[in-house]
Amino acid sequence: MSNRLPAEDPLIRMQRDLKRALAKQPSEIKWGMVIDIARCIGCHACTIGCVAENKLPPGVVYRPVIEQEIGQYPDVRRRFLPHPCVQCQNPPCVKVCPVTATYSNDQGVVVVNYPRCIGCRYCLAACPYVARTSDFGEWYTDKTPELQGKLVGRETTAKAYEARPATEYGEKWPERGHGSPVGNARKCHFCLHRLAVGMLPACVTTCVGKATFFGDRTDPESLIFELIASPRVMRLKEELGTQPAVYYLE
Amino acid sequence: MNKNAFRILLGLGVIGLIAGSVGMWARLQYGHIPMAYGSYVPWGLWVAFDLIFLGLTAGAWIIVLLTYGFGMKQFERLGPLAVLTLLVSLLCEGIIISLDLGQPMRVYRFLVTPSFTSMLTWLVVCITAMWIIYLSMFYFLLRGKFAKADADADKDKYRAGVRILALINIPVGFVFFAVQGAFFAVMLNRPLWSSALTPVVFMAAAFLSGGALVTAMAAIFDRDKAVVIPLGRIVLVLLVAFLLLEAVQFFIGYQSNSPGAVAALNMIAFGPNWWVFWIVHLLIGSLVPLLFLLFRPDDSRSVAWACLLIVITFLAVRYNAVVPDLAAYNLEGLDQFFVHPRLSQAYTPNLYEWLVSLWVVSLWVVVFLLGTRWLPVIPAEKGGEQHAS
Repeated sequence: MSNRLPAEDPLIRMQRDLKRALAKQPSEIKWGMVIDIARCIGCHACTIGCVAENKLPPGVVYRPVIEQEIGQYPDVRRRFLPHPCVQCQNPPCVKVCPVTATYSNDQGVVVVNYPRCIGCRYCLAACPYVARTSDFGEWYTDKTPELQGKLVGRETTAKAYEARPATEYGEKWPERGHGSPVGNARKCHFCLHRLAVGMLPACVTTCVGKATFFGDRTDPESLIFELIASPRVMRLKEELGTQPAVYYLE
Repeated sequence: MNKNAFRILLGLGVIGLIAGSVGMWARLQYGHIPMAYGSYVPWGLWVAFDLIFLGLTAGAWIIVLLTYGFGMKQFERLGPLAVLTLLVSLLCEGIIISLDLGQPMRVYRFLVTPSFTSMLTWLVVCITAMWIIYLSMFYFLLRGKFAKADADADKDKYRAGVRILALINIPVGFVFFAVQGAFFAVMLNRPLWSSALTPVVFMAAAFLSGGALVTAMAAIFDRDKAVVIPLGRIVLVLLVAFLLLEAVQFFIGYQSNSPGAVAALNMIAFGPNWWVFWIVHLLIGSLVPLLFLLFRPDDSRSVAWACLLIVITFLAVRYNAVVPDLAAYNLEGLDQFFVHPRLSQAYTPNLYEWLVSLWVVSLWVVVFLLGTRWLPVIPAEKGGEQHAS
């Protein structure tokens, strides 16, 4: 009996692809992402899902969606371009990091070692995709009034959510305001902490238009392997030789 | 320098330190939160000042090159003064760039986990080498001065030490100034930086600003025409060479019609800070000094003013070398749909950044002036100031 449904939701298939990939040796996996621009409806759910998943502070974003307006009234169209870090396989940001704080891991994901990063922001300037942001230490609750002893006040509000660290890279980080990642470069890491426990990246599961696909691009059975072979496929600024692992379907 | 001028300058330096301490307090208390730079323009005023201080070190290098590379012995006595400018500049450079780091306490990482593919690592290696060479050279120069008048053997020993260090310093310094430009040039796809011309422009900028600084110092503290006039001529050549390189950069940028390069050049020449380029840099920092140096080349006072104008206005050159390239390069629409001040292509340094810069510049002035007062860096018969006993 086949283990596939006649018309399968891509999420179900990607989940199965993920399970198969995780059964391999980590170094044999090469994660990749495909974004179908024609399916993106510009809802920004992936951006917000990513912000919530990684508890990104103000001014830090891993996956903005660029909107472009094409034509002139009344013949106007809008086009949306979700823009995560494209996980270059020849990453310019890695070469410029003076303290080896950023590197490409075994699965081809460019990661940041927060405790090692000195915050020089050279990688931000060197990234041709402008895909990195710096954590300047800001808080959403900065302007919330302090009400000592009350139920709701800046400190209480912050501690309830904002001060609690995310589990990026599967690590337990200190409470916000006590060291890294404040002062560090930050970037999309394909939600490695979710992948490690068999969950797809937050931007994939929150995508309303089912425009984002993810998986092991070396697995011939995977959905992403099929999509990368599409004649519609393109990569951003391919002429730079950075070899992104994020593909777009035009 | 006469006593009154010394006191006024020292007083201004102390006032600058006091006023700038507000900015320093904000930086140390609140980190980067009060500052205006963001993720899309990640470097701002402090990096421009960092480049200023790095460039000013070229003055000492030029004196060493002239004295020991080309055997022009009349410049030898400027050695201690020039080395003092270099050491104070390196000190201020270290402070301002540390303040710019997100995690300044981790600078030890350069030693523990260095990456030699990064130009920043090489810049730190060069800065460390310059510290070692010039601190040692300063020691030998001062010991040479302190040696008893009849102790010729001692003097020869110290002179030999200086000579060896000077010869080592010539190639090291050359690499040091080239790496400053290479730091920017190696970045892919940057509109103006990504060019083989960038290291040459940065070297010319360093030689011009450093040369102008040391010439001004010679005119103020040494006042010997035999030293100041030839240095003024060298600065004139450096100024013309730098302006030519700048013109080439503009010509190639506009002729290439590359949208990024044109946007960056337009931002420099016709953007909101157009006056920084046309008035501060080209008029006050280039044309006026050029006229002084061309038409009054034998007047020490004119040479000194020309050089001071070049040094003071050089921030305009460094600011335009850093910010417009970052501000002009973007992905269309990137900053319009996830909106935050840190995610903006627009950057104007705010008061806190200026105050921190003021503090560091004031520190330069105070340490340098006290250095000239307390250390025998000025020929005794020239300075008009008694050294502290």
